[in-house]
Amino acid sequence: MPLYVEKKPEVLITEDGVRTDGRKPHEMRPVRMTVGILDKADGSAFIEWGGNKILAAVFGPREVHPKHLVLPDKALVRTRYNMAPFSTPERKRPGPDRRSVELSKVIREALKPAIFVENYPGSVIDIFIEVLRSDAGTRVAGVNAASLALANAGIAMRGLVAACAVGRVGNFVVCDPNHDEDMWGDADMPMAMLMEAEEITLLQTDGPMTDEQFREALKLGRNAIRFLYEMQKEALKRPYRVVERSVRGVV
Amino acid sequence: MSESVILVKNREVVVPGQPLAKGRFKLGKDVYRDDSGVIRAKKLGLADIKEDTVSVVPLSGVYIPKEGDIVIGIVSRISGSTIIVDIRSPYQGVIPIPRGRATERVDMRKYNLKLGDVILAKVKAFDGSSSLLLTIDMEGLGKLEGGYILEVEPAKVPRVIGKRQSMLTILKEKTKSDIIVGNNGRIWVRSPSLKELLALEKALRKIEAESHVSGLSDRVSSFLTQELSD
Repeated sequence: MPLYVEKKPEVLITEDGVRTDGRKPHEMRPVRMTVGILDKADGSAFIEWGGNKILAAVFGPREVHPKHLVLPDKALVRTRYNMAPFSTPERKRPGPDRRSVELSKVIREALKPAIFVENYPGSVIDIFIEVLRSDAGTRVAGVNAASLALANAGIAMRGLVAACAVGRVGNFVVCDPNHDEDMWGDADMPMAMLMEAEEITLLQTDGPMTDEQFREALKLGRNAIRFLYEMQKEALKRPYRVVERSVRGVV
Repeated sequence: MSESVILVKNREVVVPGQPLAKGRFKLGKDVYRDDSGVIRAKKLGLADIKEDTVSVVPLSGVYIPKEGDIVIGIVSRISGSTIIVDIRSPYQGVIPIPRGRATERVDMRKYNLKLGDVILAKVKAFDGSSSLLLTIDMEGLGKLEGGYILEVEPAKVPRVIGKRQSMLTILKEKTKSDIIVGNNGRIWVRSPSLKELLALEKALRKIEAESHVSGLSDRVSSFLTQELSD
């Protein structure tokens, strides 16, 4: 007998487009980003997005171990996406599984085009994404946090990578699907873009969409990503502004 | 071609990918030109626009060695003919031990090093990836005896030294200490007492935290005066 039983809501979206958490189709859940919260990492970030709480840490560029992985002309980028055993309603068996290995790969590939790997030959950049609490859309939240952590680590980048998921529930294209929509919605499409060029570095789709719906979803995702990019810039600059204010206040 | 436009204020905090300028500018450090000709920041840092050169002064990042840099290293391994030195960087420093005819020319006592010894060395050659050659075969280089090692973020080293060593002079005079700053962010200090050492440590943390706000030298100077007054 399972301890926790998922219950499908009777209506995922009303006829006038109200979702299970009261949002309109184009609305995003509240997001908060904080940078530089880990002392021992070279760069770090924490993102709270809806019910998600995700920590990202970056180490490097540092010496590669084991040595045979060294790339002589560029930096090696390694990514580990991991869910804490307590991050889900039912205990998750700790350690890598099929899903987290896949997410590690897609997140790495979403971030790598942003990094000037050729500037750090023979070294490694390690990216760790730890999901402390999960609530749909952890991979895109992880990309946002990891991109902030990379910038915080002082790594040379073409730009920040921002990410958001979009989806389809019935006839509505929705922004940032919540848990219910993720479970029982019709389509889910996480996407990431390298800013400010807006080059897509991650695009996955699960579930059918018409040509028209796909285009609408892409547009909605792009707008959401632009908004998240502004939040990322603000999150990176905030600590410096806080210090500047306190210094100017004293002097 | 197109007009030259500057898109940021000087000394403004910029993020990677942020557009800094368009048109006829020279590329300085930590910037790149995208396909449409816009000059963008590579790193999180302060925009630095001097005449026709646009660059970014990074606010964080690990130490990447440069030929001619003076670094403070810790001996991490000695194997046969080479001494391996940790210099707080993705790349390990290597000091070859002279042998044969070469030993007549150099002071061989300098190469009598143990694991964990702290040395002052110069970057002799660096190919950008694997081979990082250091040398201690110069006046003033070699084992550092006594004193303490403090660390700052490598990106903040220019701030600790200051323009024409102004900040370093303040630190030395106020704390009455011998200070050697390595480009890799390690700082060797010999203070008259613990009090000065602790004040210096606090001052370094202050420099790290406030490096992006102008008037740093004055603040550090009055901070040290206050710390060491009683």
